[in-house]
Amino acid sequence: MKLEEFATGSSFIHHLDPRGKVVAAACFSGLVSLTQSLYAALAALALPVMLVALARLDFKRLMTRLAVVNGFILFTWFFIPFTFPGEVIYSIGPLDIHREGVLYACLLTVKSNAIILALIALLGTSPVLDVVHALSHLGVPDKLVHLFFFCFRYLHTIREEYHKLSEALKVRSFRPGTNLHTYRTYAYLVGMLLVRSFHRSQRILEALKCRGFSGRFYILHHYQMKRRDYLFTSCGLVLPCLLVVFLA
Amino acid sequence: MHISEGVLAAPVLLAGAALGLAGTAAGLKKLDYDRIPQVALLAAASFVASFIHVPIGPASVHLVLNGILGVMLGWVAFPAILISLFLQAIMFQFGGLTVLGVTTCNLALPAVLGYYAFGPGIRSSKPRVSAICSFSCGFVAVLLSSLAVAGCLVLTGDSFWAGAKMIVMAHIPVMFIEGFITLGCVRFLKKVKPEMLEVVYGRR
Amino acid sequence: MIRLKNICFNYNSRQVLDNVHFRVDPGDRIGLVGPNGSGKTTLCRIIMGLLTPDAGEVEIFGQIRRKENDFAAIRGRIGFLFQDPDDQLFCPTVLEDVAFGPLNQGKSPDEAKRIVQATLARLNLTGFEERFTHKLSGGEKRLVSLATVLSMEPEMLILDEPTTGLDEQTIETLVHLLNGTNLTYIIVSHDKDFLERTTNKTFSIRGGGIAGS
Ligand SMILES: Nc1ncnc2c1ncn2[C@@H]1O[C@H](COP(=O)(O)OP(=O)(O)OP(=O)(O)O)[C@@H](O)[C@H]1O
Ligand SMILES: [Mg+2]
Repeated sequence: MKLEEFATGSSFIHHLDPRGKVVAAACFSGLVSLTQSLYAALAALALPVMLVALARLDFKRLMTRLAVVNGFILFTWFFIPFTFPGEVIYSIGPLDIHREGVLYACLLTVKSNAIILALIALLGTSPVLDVVHALSHLGVPDKLVHLFFFCFRYLHTIREEYHKLSEALKVRSFRPGTNLHTYRTYAYLVGMLLVRSFHRSQRILEALKCRGFSGRFYILHHYQMKRRDYLFTSCGLVLPCLLVVFLA
Repeated sequence: MHISEGVLAAPVLLAGAALGLAGTAAGLKKLDYDRIPQVALLAAASFVASFIHVPIGPASVHLVLNGILGVMLGWVAFPAILISLFLQAIMFQFGGLTVLGVTTCNLALPAVLGYYAFGPGIRSSKPRVSAICSFSCGFVAVLLSSLAVAGCLVLTGDSFWAGAKMIVMAHIPVMFIEGFITLGCVRFLKKVKPEMLEVVYGRR
Repeated sequence: MIRLKNICFNYNSRQVLDNVHFRVDPGDRIGLVGPNGSGKTTLCRIIMGLLTPDAGEVEIFGQIRRKENDFAAIRGRIGFLFQDPDDQLFCPTVLEDVAFGPLNQGKSPDEAKRIVQATLARLNLTGFEERFTHKLSGGEKRLVSLATVLSMEPEMLILDEPTTGLDEQTIETLVHLLNGTNLTYIIVSHDKDFLERTTNKTFSIRGGGIAGS
């Protein structure tokens, strides 16, 4: 699991204000997922493809990522072409492939990938903490934002602990298999992670107290929307709207 | 348990978002400021743990862990699951922004149900009762979650029936594994840190 | 400054401290030693009011402290460096983390930023402001956690194993820094050489009791 794979880069997309990116990504996702027309979806796909190109992301890693997250879409191809009613265009034994079914599966595939690419190009190209920071400016409740901060901060620490524990298992020649011993071992591993996270959270709370925490976190870093950010965000809002309205 | 973006119909997405919002609001209300590190780290730990691949025959499955989260968190499971899903969406694009509400509900509602249905039994001092309840908690949480995913698909269109059935069937082995893992996990926590099972993460 | 009388403490009925007396006077530079698991960290946490002793009296700055509120008042005045810096650095960036204490003390954001810069400079950490805390190396994490403590301008320091994971050069900086202040402090450490150079009194904890030398 690689965190923040695409977050570092020098393209102008990487430098856009994360608030604008969040708004544009949410809007784009929402509108595209409403589309029922394949043409609109295809046109919408052009937008994130352009963004990905502008962000100059590593092509190979991008394709790997797409392959991984397309598992569910691949799965739909195993039944939608057969179960979606319509004109039969081909038969494999007792199974009929329907034209409309194939088109519907195409629609889902295009929509899904358009949104995934947009998420990569917009939210994947900012450090997670910046995105979370942006959320706090966009009116997401304090408690939720702090949960994000702490969760992401300690994800790294807990992941290191997990690696250490699993190495400890390996050096003691643990070989996972389909048996109760394996399940028990994994249960203890999970239990251990939970207990450690609990202990650590108590010490964090102590650290908070030692530094006079009174229930309020301060934000020191403030974003400045520049002209290009406004321009970009409004494009991000208007373009998908136009697409949906005219092509749907 | 992730449904991809762009698949579900608008009414399903909207209903999921509304329910998810309500559940999260309820959870946040029960969450005091000084419990935030605890809940956030628990979410992080379960995030990391859900990447453990548990072998089953020639294949392997990854853990869901919403049952045990539910028992520990109660309603706070909603925000905890929401943040871990959001992080997955922005870091790995598993799920996305529009399905966030739906997936949160699919995982968190069974967690909250498990809290009410099995929590008291799990905390019981009788080892047999506790064992049966913890196994059932893990098992039922995955069962309900997979049924919920199937339900969302079927509500989107009749052509998803076949896929919905396949999803539930494919999760049957996961249900057993989650049962065993939850059982082992509860036994471990009872020995090492029993107060973690006493809903210390939020107000009841 | 600190007076502990008849302190007893146990974790789930495992006795860690048994009838401990301990006092710190202004100007003391105390080294606290003892084998692993002897209760050094526990003692520090009792002083900070993070643990409540089963019996005994904790007197800090001339007042007996019992409740959470009594201790909240002194926490800014005694800087406590945790044994594991990961526990102490919870903010996203170094700037926010070091500024966290001063902001809680009611400083304005600009003032806080100035304090951060000055503190980082003292520890040779200039330029670290925008670094993410979770991406620092082990030694850097420890120095930044020390900065978070110093930025609150405490009257006294309690450092729990400050030299673990630091290279010789950095330890030198630390020795220099400690010898250059007139703060009272307690240092928990297994590093005899470091203690010799920075402290003027040693206490050792063993078998639940504490002995001075
Ligand atoms: N949260 C806890 N719950 C139960 N027991 C604990 C806890 N923290 C510490 N202990 C026990 O209390 C004893 C003293 O621990 P403490 O951390 O004070 O030791 P220490 O002297 O700081 O050791 P070290 O040199 O290893 O840091 C140890 O035996 C430890 O096992
Ligand atoms: Mg210690």
